[in-house]
Amino acid sequence: MTDEPPPEPLTPEPFDEAEYRRRQRSRANMMAWMLGALAILFFLITIAKMQVNQ
Amino acid sequence: MAQSLTQDGMTLPADWRDLFALTKPRVMSLVVFTALCGLLAAPGHVHPVLAFSAILAIALGAGASGALNQWYEAGLDAKMKRTAGRPLPAGRLDPQTALHFGVGLAAFSVFLMLVAANWQAALLLTASILFYVFVYTMWLKPRTPQNIVIGGAAGAFPPLIGWVAATGSVAPLPVLLFLLIFLWTPPHFWALALFVRSDYAAAGIPMMPVVAGERSTRRQILFYAVIMAAAAIAPWPLGYTGALYGWTAVLLSALFVLLSIQVGTRRAGEGDLMLPEKRLFTFSIAYLFLLFGAVVADHMWPL
Repeated sequence: MTDEPPPEPLTPEPFDEAEYRRRQRSRANMMAWMLGALAILFFLITIAKMQVNQ
Repeated sequence: MAQSLTQDGMTLPADWRDLFALTKPRVMSLVVFTALCGLLAAPGHVHPVLAFSAILAIALGAGASGALNQWYEAGLDAKMKRTAGRPLPAGRLDPQTALHFGVGLAAFSVFLMLVAANWQAALLLTASILFYVFVYTMWLKPRTPQNIVIGGAAGAFPPLIGWVAATGSVAPLPVLLFLLIFLWTPPHFWALALFVRSDYAAAGIPMMPVVAGERSTRRQILFYAVIMAAAAIAPWPLGYTGALYGWTAVLLSALFVLLSIQVGTRRAGEGDLMLPEKRLFTFSIAYLFLLFGAVVADHMWPL
């Protein structure tokens, strides 16, 4: 028999803890920036609405 | 190779780049531009912060629609070369995260529109998201070759929402702009569908070239291009825009129809590179950008 054996089904690589921590930190940073930006945006919207309604 | 998303009870957090890709940023750029043009072409003055927030809300709403579309179509995307690399079919993101992200973003976009603009614009934004997700993605797209025709309404909302965010009411010009995008969508997508036909066929999506054949699709591209050109020029003779927009619309629409005639009257043979179709698809994007730019330019510097 010269037939090659069927290929193994593709299984995703297991992730290591360093990758887990890296993604967690990256998302936490992104969330912090977005929350900060939203706080500033809502503050500016409030000021703008006060100016428009004057 | 993709990494496993779960291991020993831990779930790998989604990379923010994958969440960003879920929002279809390239589609969003056209949505943002047409919405901005609708807002800038509206009469009166809008506070820059409120204008920015309204456009941001529309962008986030479009992103949410894109995310929910990718969540629902992950199985289909995996079958198409063009979309197999997206975060969900590539296994870089788990479906539940995508669903939560899409629903959360949709709710936030409507809330932001309500705070920054008015309830009318928030209502229209809600309608456009629901229409795209439920009517287009879930109902029409897998069932009928007319999916693009009716579903085109979802992409036509942004200039209307931009206008309503600025004024609080609907007027004839934004309705004509809605109609323009609505009629632009079939030739734009069918030109694409002609050169990625095998992809759609593999995924079982009943796009026009797959169901009705290439010849019928080509004829319909030409038909829609002609009525789209009429809708594009209409605001000028109706008195809603001036000559600057009028002449831009006449010249660009004439070119659009010419390119559509090339596509509509030819037959592609074996190994055809489909250059006229690719040219029409590329031009159709530039056409919409230029035409909407002309609406704003005409409003600011009337001839």
